[in-house]
Amino acid sequence: MNLDFLTIDVGTILFTLINTLLIFLAFKFILFKRVDAILAKRAQEVSNTYSAADSALADANADKEKYAEAMAGAKDEAAQIVSRAEKKAQREGDAILESARREAMATREKASIETEREKAQARTELQEEIGDLAVELAQKIMEREISKEDHARLIDEFLTDVREDNKA
Amino acid sequence: MHISDFLKGSPDGIDVKGPGVLCSFEICGITINLTETVVISWGIILAVTLLLLWLTHDLKTNHISKRQVAAEWIVTTVYGLVEDAMGKRWRWFAPYIGALFTFSITGSLVSMIGLRSVTADFNAPLAWALITFVLIHGTNIRTNGIGGYLKGYVDPVPVMLPINILSEASTPVSMSLRHFGNVVSGMVITSLLYFALSVVTKSIGVAFLTIGIPAVLSLYFDLFSGFMQAFVFIMLTMAYISNADGRNEA
Repeated sequence: MNLDFLTIDVGTILFTLINTLLIFLAFKFILFKRVDAILAKRAQEVSNTYSAADSALADANADKEKYAEAMAGAKDEAAQIVSRAEKKAQREGDAILESARREAMATREKASIETEREKAQARTELQEEIGDLAVELAQKIMEREISKEDHARLIDEFLTDVREDNKA
Repeated sequence: MHISDFLKGSPDGIDVKGPGVLCSFEICGITINLTETVVISWGIILAVTLLLLWLTHDLKTNHISKRQVAAEWIVTTVYGLVEDAMGKRWRWFAPYIGALFTFSITGSLVSMIGLRSVTADFNAPLAWALITFVLIHGTNIRTNGIGGYLKGYVDPVPVMLPINILSEASTPVSMSLRHFGNVVSGMVITSLLYFALSVVTKSIGVAFLTIGIPAVLSLYFDLFSGFMQAFVFIMLTMAYISNADGRNEA
């Protein structure tokens, strides 16, 4: 048995309404509810991820600043160390130079003292020799008769010689 | 076989029937028929429910499966359609639109597996059009109040009253008849064509015409027309309801 081609059938309309409600419920409580839930969850996760990324970025920037500060500090410190070392080296160099100079001075003084001493000694020796020569000369003169004038002349000559010697 | 047989029609003839009645019973003096349409609808509901359960099981927030992509695409597309046509406040309406579209398109497409289209029974689109009708007027009353709603019938001049009533009443009639007419005409044309081709086949004795040609036509009448009518139906539903909700008028 078939209905007519175009009939309005209350039963079919009622059943169709119920069926439409059923399929609507399936869409609402299976598809839309579940997908909405997962979309909301994903949006939440995405926003969490973003905030995590933001805070990580902030941390990284803070670290970077700290690092830059530390680097600047290290540079200053290095400069300080270098300048301190330079000063120290300068000081030490000066001290070494100073002591060398002093030593040289001392050596020179010592040398001059020695020279003086040797000179004095030489003079003494010379005087002794002069004495000897005078004695010798006296003996020679004694051997011959000499006048008073000769005597005086001889002594003058001798003294002149000695002075010349001394000058030389 | 001669060409005259074609003109006379086949011995079986062409008989486009209404939906078959499986059983009928009476409640309060009203005969309730359990028709082909209803039973096929139950099959559709079962299939759609199973499909939705399969699509939405084990949803994840990342590394999602193609199945989930499809599920999310359906939901976001329907939301997009509803928001475009009705505005964001009508977002909650999306599941109904999705359900209506699915029911309509599957109801038309069951013809492709040899069943009688649900939408080729006038009562199915009529039921949907009645839902739309109730929603239109419910929305109108909610927006304008009962006074404003009734006043709408005598706008702009009281003479318009019969025309306004006619116009309101014609909405569900035109919606349901459009849907029914399109699907059923496809069904009739397919039957006619199949009949014509089988007669030609009988007269020339080669059975190749009935293979292929009906399939191509079925592509239009079942797939395209089924999709178009479902789409037109939901778009009209949204447009009418949105129109009744005056707040949307920009």
